[in-house]
Amino acid sequence: MSSAVSTESAARPVDPGARPAGKRDVWIVFWIVPAFYTAFGIIFFALARVMPPPRPDVTTDQMAHFFHAHATTIQIGFGILVLIVGGAGVANGIVVYHIKRMTVGSVLGYAYMGSLAVGALPGCLLVAFCFLTAVYRPDRDPQLLALLYDLGLLSYVGSLGCFTTAWFAFAIAILYDRNQIFPKWLAYVTVWQIVTEILAIPVFVSKAGPFAWNGSIAFWVGTVVFGFWLSCLIVFLKKANDLQPADEAPLP
Amino acid sequence: MQILAEAEDLPKTANIRTQLISLWSVPIFGAILLVAFAAFPGFFPPMSPDMPANQVAAFYRDNEAMIRFSMITFNLCGIMLLPMFMVIVVQMKRMATQSHAFAYCYLTAAVSGATLFALADIFYLTAAFRPDRNPELVMLLNDMAWIIFIAPVGAIVAMNLLLAAAIYFDNGPNPVFPRWVGHYALATAVAMAPAVGAAIFRTGPLAWDGGVSFWLRNGAFALFVAVMFFVLRGVLQRQAVDEGVAR
Repeated sequence: MSSAVSTESAARPVDPGARPAGKRDVWIVFWIVPAFYTAFGIIFFALARVMPPPRPDVTTDQMAHFFHAHATTIQIGFGILVLIVGGAGVANGIVVYHIKRMTVGSVLGYAYMGSLAVGALPGCLLVAFCFLTAVYRPDRDPQLLALLYDLGLLSYVGSLGCFTTAWFAFAIAILYDRNQIFPKWLAYVTVWQIVTEILAIPVFVSKAGPFAWNGSIAFWVGTVVFGFWLSCLIVFLKKANDLQPADEAPLP
Repeated sequence: MQILAEAEDLPKTANIRTQLISLWSVPIFGAILLVAFAAFPGFFPPMSPDMPANQVAAFYRDNEAMIRFSMITFNLCGIMLLPMFMVIVVQMKRMATQSHAFAYCYLTAAVSGATLFALADIFYLTAAFRPDRNPELVMLLNDMAWIIFIAPVGAIVAMNLLLAAAIYFDNGPNPVFPRWVGHYALATAVAMAPAVGAAIFRTGPLAWDGGVSFWLRNGAFALFVAVMFFVLRGVLQRQAVDEGVAR
């Protein structure tokens, strides 16, 4: 049991019997993060046309027209997304890995992993299934297409809690960590991510204006903060990889 | 596996035992899931995406009982395969020559994949709940059921790529898995990947009733689970012997 206690510290000595962990695997996983999010951006902005989101304040026929006009790119984009969505697991897993290297115990790493593993469904996959189902049969009743339009976009822009929990766990972990895995100010950027989730609450009520699902506050502030946070995260994940000793023992 | 008497009450023995229990959920629940699969009236042959709405509604009306039996069983027992994937995570974390970043990524991907596996049956069951609904609505539920059942292979593809990478990097004197398991995991990922086409194509091998999307995908997954049962049994046997728990 004593080994289980001592391993809570990331600055653990290398067990003389174990071979050094090396870092090739951490680097492979790291490079999947920018690769996945680049693909994610191309899919959501250029192909599926979910970003920036189409307007909520349009008629049923206009919603049906949106699906007819973008059917092919939705199929290409979301088809690829469904195939590569495991990359989100990898992108979250590398953060969990570095949280586990901190001096804060495992609980926040597990909270981050759990909330984001759940968040993949409401946060990016449900909109893919709604849109793919909508364009699967273009001759469907426009009322049903409109239902899928609302369901997909509300789920995508309006999935708040999974991410709030993840950002909360990440910020607390960074603030309490004494191994300096990530800089403290990244925690405050992460707190702003929680603020943007709260700013997106009105998307469930507001059909137009700054608080609608395509609004300047509910959507654009959140997207800009997320983009900035993600860029910081990638830079500091790289730094954390660089600074990790090559002979660090595997995590417990 | 024969547990040594003197190791009976040790925590490391319990660690082996709980993994064995998790592993043995595979033959039990795997058999139940195969029965549920065989019982679904729309799998032999798989329902065509070209069925018109009134035929889809008639299918749910005429086969209510078997659809419910099959999909409630999937609902109850489908996620009982997850403990086996958790045994894989635990074994990936035994690999001494790497950092275990792969194991955490595998775990995260496994949970995301399981949420989708748990979702599809609800759509079949909702369609069967009120088959007198407007046929257009039954068809919408049926479309979502099939697309969510067949197409989302992204999680298992990522898991198998991660498992393969972890096995290839586990190149110390005592690898946890035999090396061929890495090749096999890769091959399974390749076999399952084309099934994303089920969300796009309405005819041909990539449609949800097609040879690639339905039979190859489901066959590859079922075979992978069965093969991994035997692989993991061997892995646990070696772990037990290495740790002085069994001989």
